[in-house]
Amino acid sequence: MPLLKKKPLDYQEALRDIAKSLVRLKRPERLLKMITRFLDKELGIEHAAILVLDPAKSRYTIFDSKGVRKLPQSLLRLDPDHPLIRWFQPSRKERNHRDKIKEMESLRGFVSRREIQSLLNKGSFLDDRPELKKELIEVERSLKNLRADIAIPGHFKEALVGILLLGEKLTHRLYTKSEIQFFQTLVHDAALAVKTSEYHQRLVERNFELETRKKELEERLREIERLRKKEQETYYQIMKSLAQQVHAKDPYTFGHIRQVERLGIMTAEEMGLDLSGKRRDVLSAGLLLHDVGKIGIPDNILKKPGALDSEEWKVMRTHVEKGAKILEPLTDFKEVAEIVLCHHEHYDGSGYPRKLKREEIPIEARIVSVVDAFHAIVSTRCYREGRPVAVAFEELRRAAGTQFDPRVVEAFIRAMKKQLKHS
Amino acid sequence: MKEMTRLLVVDDEPDICEFLKSFFQEREFKVETALSGEAAIAAVEKFRPHVMLLDIKMGPVDGLTVLKKIKEKHPRTKIIMVTAIETKDKIEEAIRLGADNYVTKPLSLEYLENDVREKVANLALNA
Repeated sequence: MPLLKKKPLDYQEALRDIAKSLVRLKRPERLLKMITRFLDKELGIEHAAILVLDPAKSRYTIFDSKGVRKLPQSLLRLDPDHPLIRWFQPSRKERNHRDKIKEMESLRGFVSRREIQSLLNKGSFLDDRPELKKELIEVERSLKNLRADIAIPGHFKEALVGILLLGEKLTHRLYTKSEIQFFQTLVHDAALAVKTSEYHQRLVERNFELETRKKELEERLREIERLRKKEQETYYQIMKSLAQQVHAKDPYTFGHIRQVERLGIMTAEEMGLDLSGKRRDVLSAGLLLHDVGKIGIPDNILKKPGALDSEEWKVMRTHVEKGAKILEPLTDFKEVAEIVLCHHEHYDGSGYPRKLKREEIPIEARIVSVVDAFHAIVSTRCYREGRPVAVAFEELRRAAGTQFDPRVVEAFIRAMKKQLKHS
Repeated sequence: MKEMTRLLVVDDEPDICEFLKSFFQEREFKVETALSGEAAIAAVEKFRPHVMLLDIKMGPVDGLTVLKKIKEKHPRTKIIMVTAIETKDKIEEAIRLGADNYVTKPLSLEYLENDVREKVANLALNA
């Protein structure tokens, strides 16, 4: 009777088939099951089983077992001190020792129960090696317990990844050398697949973890961005409605504040001020809202065609405090309120309401002051005709150092000139 | 001739019963198996085992029920619980009900054999 149940097995071909499948399989469980099924089907044997290292518990358990005398699944485990495990994971010393013994060559790279039996029977070489003899007896007994005729270790970089156990052939013949070589190749590839997939699995898990964290972070950033946008929209909504109210009361400012905002930002850019993040918003708001307090100034004063008397000026001047009061309750407008309050302060301390000097006046307020003055000079106001830009520059320069911060004046004029050149 | 130790293996998986049976038979035990709690209770009366390997998780009569019944009637029978679920309360319950030891699946055959032999030695001492 032929060795094999069906047809003589072309090992080369089988090997190629399995190697091909190996590449396809990212999950080695399927490969291992395929191997046991293949061996059980193609070779007439009692059973084929694969033991695999459970790295978490450092023990070997039966991954799969097929055949008429298959091992019950999930019943058995082999601890690291199990004779078979110790045999396949010898210390360097033990291995060197074994390698020196000529008789042991027949057991290199696998163990065969019947080979061990014959060694034990005829092995006078074991008489002086009681420890090796004891080991061999234990391995033989373990193989018997596991119903195995041969066992083939699967190593990966010195570590024992798993073991292939094969029961006796139904014919009770011995396994041939070429068969054993075939099994060794198979087990070697399987160990590789298990290890790479473990590695792969760890990578996947790690990637997944990182991916999740990244997603969470992105989600948070999106949320922050969303809130910031919403906040900004609200901010501008409020400013717009406030500014519109000023318009409604003081028609001459029509077009004024938008212009003022644009010129102010330009000046700040020319000065090289930090306009990142909230800084730009604060400056914009200060420029847009500097006159918001005029809402509280009686029309007869605000819209008076002629010059104001001193009593009227007193009232008019309160618009800076009124404006600051309007803005103060809004948390985001604290800084803006300060700008509004300071936009009539003079660089030399002669302004109002607190007679602040130089750097005591927020830079934004100093900018508002210059831009607002320029705009007033060139605009047609109800009490006088607008004057040309050159005249305005002259006036600003004359007041630089007293009313205005000279650096702001110069930056403003530079920015204006650039703009005029472009238009 | 020395009396053979009688071992009763109780598990609802035939593979496991058969495997443990042949393992202990090879070690000069007289082994019977039972595939359910009911069968186990009946087998104890007929077979009078010295030692029992008793699976905890079986239906409808589970290992703990069998343990309780047998320990009530045959307190000298040594019972080793076999459990796949390593839940502490089940094991504690088993010990409370008089189990002599427990092993968890997957088990080490070598440890199990030692354990069984130890119980047999105890029996002999107390005889």
